[in-house]
Amino acid sequence: MNFEAVDITILGPAFVAGLLVLSTHVPLGRTVLKRGIIFIDLAIAQIAGIGVIAADAFGWEAEGANWKIQIAAVSAALLGALLLNWTEKRFAKIQEALIGILFVLGATLGLLMLANNPHGGEHLKDLLVGQILWVSYEQLWPILALYALVLLAWFYLDIEKMNRLGFYLIFAVTITASVQLVGVYLVFASLIIPALATREKSGNSQLFFAYGLGALGYLGGLLASALFDLPSGAIIVWSLAVFGIIFSTLIARKPTEKQQKINA
Amino acid sequence: MKFNQIIIALCLGFISMTSSANINIFTCEPEWNALAQEIGGDKVSSYSATTGLQDPHHIQARPSLIAKVRKADMVACTGADLEIGWLPLLLRRAGNPRIQKGQPGYFMATRYVRILEKPKMIDRSQGDVHAAGNPHIQTSPKNILPVAKAMAEKFADIDPVNGAYYQQRLDDFSVRWKKALRKWKRLVRPLKHLPIVVHHENWVYLEDFLKIKQLATLEDKPGIPPTSGHLVSLLDLMKVNPAKIIIHAGYQSEKPAKWLSKKTGIPAVKLPFTVGGTDAAKDLFSLYDDTFNRLLKAIKK
Repeated sequence: MNFEAVDITILGPAFVAGLLVLSTHVPLGRTVLKRGIIFIDLAIAQIAGIGVIAADAFGWEAEGANWKIQIAAVSAALLGALLLNWTEKRFAKIQEALIGILFVLGATLGLLMLANNPHGGEHLKDLLVGQILWVSYEQLWPILALYALVLLAWFYLDIEKMNRLGFYLIFAVTITASVQLVGVYLVFASLIIPALATREKSGNSQLFFAYGLGALGYLGGLLASALFDLPSGAIIVWSLAVFGIIFSTLIARKPTEKQQKINA
Repeated sequence: MKFNQIIIALCLGFISMTSSANINIFTCEPEWNALAQEIGGDKVSSYSATTGLQDPHHIQARPSLIAKVRKADMVACTGADLEIGWLPLLLRRAGNPRIQKGQPGYFMATRYVRILEKPKMIDRSQGDVHAAGNPHIQTSPKNILPVAKAMAEKFADIDPVNGAYYQQRLDDFSVRWKKALRKWKRLVRPLKHLPIVVHHENWVYLEDFLKIKQLATLEDKPGIPPTSGHLVSLLDLMKVNPAKIIIHAGYQSEKPAKWLSKKTGIPAVKLPFTVGGTDAAKDLFSLYDDTFNRLLKAIKK
């Protein structure tokens, strides 16, 4: 046990980053799960990475222009989103398989491009394995602004129900920001685990439980990481999974209203 | 009983951590941790962020790292961009003014030795080339003394009361090191002009010390897996101009080296690379003992 690292100034920014990521990923994850397109975040993140490597090939990285890299990443992710929107319209039944293929194509295209442009590799790595513990509060302001817009659009325009294209575009922007902050593993876990564990609930009560579960997962993971001196991102993924299992077994024990009616 | 013993051990550990040490040192690699202990003795307490079996280019963020940097009076690292992927982030997150760049507590070992492979012109097509030169200075025992001297001066700056103590420990270390250097120079004579293949470009200082010849690297460009074309040309080269051994570091995968060894019959040798890279490399002295013994053993076969 290692108590010196249990310190709000060390764990605080990471926890806030986690809450920010959860704020958008919980509602998005619900839709992702409903549509059965679980691996879309991995595919979109890889495509954003391709954008970064391309930006590097244009020599933008040498100028140290981070915003240009961000624009390249978001543009690539948006293009990927448009492509996925089209494939869902055209080949709805095989969408998940296509997403899987897009993921491996994206990942390997990155490798192929890097064979002649090795410096892009550092950025690709930064983009995909963002480390939650290195986050500082200053970095979180732009994310907060972006996610406020995303949430506004999500709930006010009710994109979940109405608009497939809107969903893919919002998803692309959100994921491009979050992978750089906390990395691909945490993005996947934040997206899927809370939504999956609370699938028996519906509407606002699902959102409430999913947010609570996600927050507990991050908090527990960060504390465990400090106490047992383990890499934070990885242990938070496990913590989310543990809380997810506990929550879904607790729910399963209580029969839902429907079942009660059937039993009666 | 057991539980009591653990509690006592924890308390003792806690006391020894907080009380006696005058300088708290955060080192990035085990070689500088070992050196800090040689020079600082019981007046310093030091911690290494990586072990001998970890790639120092990359590191996973853990809360304890931030906590340790926050308490540190000094960070002792290699520098020359080796830790560029994580040290600046760690220093920024810790926000400890004593160890920021330019402060007395900021110690980069590569500042005190002659850096090899400093590119005259950075050609971005060459791969993961370090613009600041090759940072892997600890592969040559010649580089240890200049770093030790600089470190002792730093210690005296930070903790002037014990300046004489550090100087005396440095003198003692210098005598022992010079003696070891003479022994190693005799020992490694049979290795002179030995043709070798390496996994990654991190042995240039060892090659310089041993006067051995690097024919090729398994990685075509540093940090990128080799292409099939590169491996074919490597096999062709080994037919015309065979190497005597293939070298890889303890922290690297032995697969590429083993693959080439199988194809060519040239023995692959694992070297510790740093303190803790092999079981025998327990401190700075045994690091080089083990390195040279492994090389000598490989050519005797």
